[in-house]
Amino acid sequence: MIKVNISLYGSLARFGGGKHVAQMDVELPDGSGKADLLRQIGIPEEERGYLFLNAMLCEVPGLSTGANEPLKDGDHIGVFSVDRLYPYQYRDGLPMSDGLKAALKKHGAMHHSYK
Amino acid sequence: MAKKILRINMTNLKATYEDVPEKWARWAGRGLTSAITCDEVDPMCHPLGPNNKIVIAPGWVSGSPAAPSSGRTSFGGKSPLTGGIKESNAGGLSSQMIAKLGLAAIILEGTPAKGKWYTLVVTKDGVKFEDAADLMGKGMYEVDELLWKKYPKTAVIGIGQAGEMKLSNAGISVNDPENRPGRYAGRGGMGAVMGARGIKAMIIDDKGGPGVEIANQDLFKEGRKKLTEAIQEHGLTKKGGGLNAFGTAVLVNILNEAGGLPTRNFSAGQFEGAAKISGEAMAEACEKRGGEGTMGHGCHPGCIIKCSNIYPDESGKAIASCVEDETTWALGANCGIDQLDFIAQMTRECNDIGLDTIEAGNTIAIAMEGGLLPFGDAEGALKTFDEIRKGTPLGRILGQGVAATAKAFGVSRVPVVKGQSMPAYEPRAVKGIGVTYATTPMAAYHPAGYTIGPEIAGVSGKLDPLSNEGKAELSLTFQAATAFIDSTGYCLFIAFPILDIAKGWAGMAESVAGVTGLNITGDDVVPIGKEILKMERLFNEKAGFTAEDDRPPEFMREESLPPHNVKWTITDAQLDSVYAWVHNGK
Repeated sequence: MIKVNISLYGSLARFGGGKHVAQMDVELPDGSGKADLLRQIGIPEEERGYLFLNAMLCEVPGLSTGANEPLKDGDHIGVFSVDRLYPYQYRDGLPMSDGLKAALKKHGAMHHSYK
Repeated sequence: MAKKILRINMTNLKATYEDVPEKWARWAGRGLTSAITCDEVDPMCHPLGPNNKIVIAPGWVSGSPAAPSSGRTSFGGKSPLTGGIKESNAGGLSSQMIAKLGLAAIILEGTPAKGKWYTLVVTKDGVKFEDAADLMGKGMYEVDELLWKKYPKTAVIGIGQAGEMKLSNAGISVNDPENRPGRYAGRGGMGAVMGARGIKAMIIDDKGGPGVEIANQDLFKEGRKKLTEAIQEHGLTKKGGGLNAFGTAVLVNILNEAGGLPTRNFSAGQFEGAAKISGEAMAEACEKRGGEGTMGHGCHPGCIIKCSNIYPDESGKAIASCVEDETTWALGANCGIDQLDFIAQMTRECNDIGLDTIEAGNTIAIAMEGGLLPFGDAEGALKTFDEIRKGTPLGRILGQGVAATAKAFGVSRVPVVKGQSMPAYEPRAVKGIGVTYATTPMAAYHPAGYTIGPEIAGVSGKLDPLSNEGKAELSLTFQAATAFIDSTGYCLFIAFPILDIAKGWAGMAESVAGVTGLNITGDDVVPIGKEILKMERLFNEKAGFTAEDDRPPEFMREESLPPHNVKWTITDAQLDSVYAWVHNGK
């Protein structure tokens, strides 16, 4: 088993017993990925917005990557509800995962309005 | 009735109303304060000497009927903190009232006889110069209260003890609708320049004023409608959206997760106590404690975003309004402090003494690094404000801001550009914002350039979010858009919807055209903004600034920022390219 720490922000906090923010440790079988973690907590796909793994931007609203890449013991994941916008100027040039880089190459420049 | 310039000479205590000369006729807000500063202030003058001025200007649409979120007042002149040109703008009651008095700008110049201080009372009938002896030494909470007893429901512009002492971190307060101080033109020390004019406070009373003429009602209404719709549709600015529900500090947690929240004097990019000082934590405190505490507070009449808050103590009594994103970060994460109640009390001290919260928090962080007190010492941090209020030698050092305090305490990690300290976004992690910090004429200053929605601003196709390419051009474009917005009277937070929703961008321009009669469309926003930037840039060059002043602090090139362990990577050539057009014409 591994233990990871997760922070849930906005309306997602309800899945961790909080109103606007919740933080908790979660135990998972070895080899579990992000998707397993989020499924275990019960977060619906459509409510998920920006997601960080160890401070690396991994997901933006509408672009989910690396769902099954194995998590490591001690990893930290931060997930924001989909209505949490992250304006461009505050993330322009931010480090991001290789998976998200590839997805953005295909998708085009990041923008905070995906609809 | 054509707008007038009100010129107030503090040397001979004379006020004169002048026609707006042709060269200034198209400007308002930041464009006008910068144009007048460039024309009338010697760039080499001492910022606190007799030749500096303060120019106060509402925006193009300020005071027009129901233009949404249009309560910004620009304060301009030469900055004692940076030595360059400064425009610092604030919400509160003053913008709409100055505009409704038929004034394009108020110019404060000259110096009264030594030891004399005044309260200026500006009404439709002219200007009264009242002796301010009874207000001297008082903080802005008491000043606002005393002045409303005599002049109820007026706008009060004033300085606290910091401005009286002419400290470089002194801001100018504007009262909010409930007559609290705290809507600050904070950055750049403009409160010291007001103090140098011998002005403790100004009353603006618009009763019986001529109001604001609308040149083209149909165009104005059309533009206002589009802009209002864009604000109400956008996730950050709509009712119940991010800013309304959680205030500007809605950004704390996301920057922290991203590793871009400067912590303990810019030595790390993540703060373990971030969630406790975030907008979400403020909202929970307001809900739990009730009383006067609330999110979604409006800082001026007619705001439809309402991102301000009133942070309560445990009994529900207001501690301060407003605890902003940069405030909770500077006085919190950057000092290693995770106690929101202390941060709110320090915010109140800043609002009372008259200090910019960003510079004040960063200064405490420098003092912590320098050994005056340990990181995380909330009680000790709160006590430093007593030193400033009393004007002790230590207080006078701290009141000079980050650069001076770093010298006093022998600290070399000094997060300043052009003498002004950086806001809540780490440029080593969020690289795009670093270009703006380094190059804006306003010194390290985040609202100087909003890097959003590139296709709307016309740089589509040139942006690769994964490289440094195009960041210079993008930064310039958004610095220009910001200079334009700062001239409108609209709050800069309209930048989120207008740069994301095309009708908002057009609506902003059309509402300006409708009020003023100027031939402005969305296509003119960036070119007009560049004209303002050029004026400011040339002022700074005449004040002695060179390319070397457009550089990040040295430590950012030398020290890696955890958790990403990244250094500054934007090249000097890229920085120099941002303003190359000023001289080569491109």
